[in-house]
Amino acid sequence: MLDVKMTKRLKHFDLDIAFNCAPGELTAVIGPSGAGKTTLVRLLAGLERPDGGGITFGNTVWADVEKRVFLPARKRDLGLVFQDYTLFPHLTIRKNVAFAASNEDRVDELMTMFGIRHLESSRPSDISGGERQRAAFCQALARDPVLLLLDEPFSALDVANRRNLRSCLKELKNELHIPILHVTHDLDEALFLGDTILAVESGRIAPNWLKEQQAIQRRLAVSGLAREEGAAVSRAEEPRPVERALLGCG
Amino acid sequence: MDWTPLILSAKLAIWTMLLIPILASPMASLLAFGRFKGKSLLDAVVTLPMVMPPTVLGFALLVVMGPRGYLGGLWEDVTGDRLVFSFTGILLASLIFNLPFAVQPLRASLEKLDPRLLESAAVLGLSPLSTFFRIVLPNCLGGLAAASILVFAHSLGEFGVILMVGGSIPGQTQVASVAIFEAVEALRFDDAFRMSAALIPVCFAVLLIINKINARRA
Amino acid sequence: MKRICSLMLAFCLLIPTGAFAADLFIAQAANFTPVMKEIIPAFEKATGLKAQATYASTGKLYGQIINDAPFDILMAADERRPNKLFADGLAEKPFVYAKGQVVLWSNDKNFCGDDWKATVVNDAVKRVSVANTETAPYGTSSMKAMQAAGLWDKVQPKLVYGQSISQAFQFASTGSADVGFCAYSSVFTEVGKKGCFTVVDEAPPVIQAACVLKSAPHADAAAKFVKFLSSPEVQAMKLKYGYK
Repeated sequence: MLDVKMTKRLKHFDLDIAFNCAPGELTAVIGPSGAGKTTLVRLLAGLERPDGGGITFGNTVWADVEKRVFLPARKRDLGLVFQDYTLFPHLTIRKNVAFAASNEDRVDELMTMFGIRHLESSRPSDISGGERQRAAFCQALARDPVLLLLDEPFSALDVANRRNLRSCLKELKNELHIPILHVTHDLDEALFLGDTILAVESGRIAPNWLKEQQAIQRRLAVSGLAREEGAAVSRAEEPRPVERALLGCG
Repeated sequence: MDWTPLILSAKLAIWTMLLIPILASPMASLLAFGRFKGKSLLDAVVTLPMVMPPTVLGFALLVVMGPRGYLGGLWEDVTGDRLVFSFTGILLASLIFNLPFAVQPLRASLEKLDPRLLESAAVLGLSPLSTFFRIVLPNCLGGLAAASILVFAHSLGEFGVILMVGGSIPGQTQVASVAIFEAVEALRFDDAFRMSAALIPVCFAVLLIINKINARRA
Repeated sequence: MKRICSLMLAFCLLIPTGAFAADLFIAQAANFTPVMKEIIPAFEKATGLKAQATYASTGKLYGQIINDAPFDILMAADERRPNKLFADGLAEKPFVYAKGQVVLWSNDKNFCGDDWKATVVNDAVKRVSVANTETAPYGTSSMKAMQAAGLWDKVQPKLVYGQSISQAFQFASTGSADVGFCAYSSVFTEVGKKGCFTVVDEAPPVIQAACVLKSAPHADAAAKFVKFLSSPEVQAMKLKYGYK
């Protein structure tokens, strides 16, 4: 169980968030750009320190400002996927995935699952963006993390890849049984994936923001302006079986 | 023609080239990634040998490496030999003199590194030291190679500093640049010409290699 | 930006460089520098002419002269170079202007016994500095002394070579070399006074000769200078610095 209650002074506002996330639960974090979503991920990852409050994971305290406790990133045993791949450019795909892996079988398993087994000996610069993100997922999952943090992992991908990986993630969620935090600016993605939706605006949780967004969407749908969009959204929920076989995740 | 000065120059240049990364890497890392008080001071100290006139630097080293100097005294206590006027002495001088020429390109290479790579490594459980050897270094090999080759070429031409602390001992500290100077002084122009003619192709080849490495990195 | 450039240009062109203003140009061997620094003002006072000296090793000055450097007179540290210039028709007949002496100098009082020969072979003396035996007359003289005493082979492994007699003295005065074969005149300098010395009798006196160059642009001034050199005033200055 991930327990978060912390504050951090940022440039234009203060981040002040409290929530928790249970194993097997996916919390989607959504909000406008500059709302502090990425900072939240970095704080959870241990790449930055909070100014107040703290983070606990199960029985372990990851950060506690009052008690001056701070567990650095490398000791938190988590998986992190950025928006742009951050695979190590000097290693092959297999070496990247296996970098922090618990065992070789898991590496094989994940790479097969994500359909990139055939790219084992390639370098990150040789493969496509979609393939790189799959590799990044494998890398993060290979060490059997206790928490998965995703910072807009699909934003840089094309529509087909995005749809495919979304479904992948939904299925994986049940299999992994760990808390997952998924940051996105795409409302539909958040609605599709999230068991809980956390709307963040100017560093704070904005419960009304979500309702406002959904109202706007409904109005657009009704006025017919977003008919195409709406159709695309419903289609995005389930990728076509043919595509799924080609991209190989499931 | 006496090949000893040329061999000595080559020996000095190769040793400098091999040892300089060990000194330059921590300095460059501190300057590229560190955030501490006195960072600009460290930067100035490391760059100093580049802007000092070689004879000034040479004289300073002579005093420090001499038997009454801090370094020289320590050396004599430990080994019983004198540091100044020895090959080790001119090698040390060469390392100090060449340090800024290695630190600058290496630092530039490190600063170009995507910080997310380092964060990724940290999240995946790597310690800072492991990160340096497994992630940072392999991604700056181009910068490291360029720095090493530059230092090699620079060491071949070193004169002022070596003159001051070397004592021009044939076979030990009389490197090619000093031997050529002495040949000219003694009006042995043929000798001077022959030694120069041997050095020039080497420098040229080194420059070609540097250009090739830089082109590949671009 | 333009203003700065023009200001800098004006500075370079208008500030008198002095070198162009002298009436006499002297190429002086470095070891005689302290004496020359007293001779020149005295000469200027006596004749009203301005003299300018360049101090460097004899070898370097010779090299410049045979490549048409605009000197009027060469004051060398040996006889060889002036003789060569004379033989090649580039200079008037050389004349001796000073006689120097090689001494063994050290910062360490223990190394200044009566016998320099015992000192240099002493195991406690690890490094001995000497001027380049090929190009510096004091170096050649020192080498001859060691050879005459049969010590050359024994001392050679300990030798460090300075490019000039000044550098040989510098090695000794900084303590990098335990003792050094130096010019007697260095004993009279401020640094030299802090150490001690032993005269090296076996070293042939360093006969320093000078010659007026045939291509001298200021032949009259040169002649006046040569005359001034034999005055009692100059003799006294030479003695003061250990020259004969």
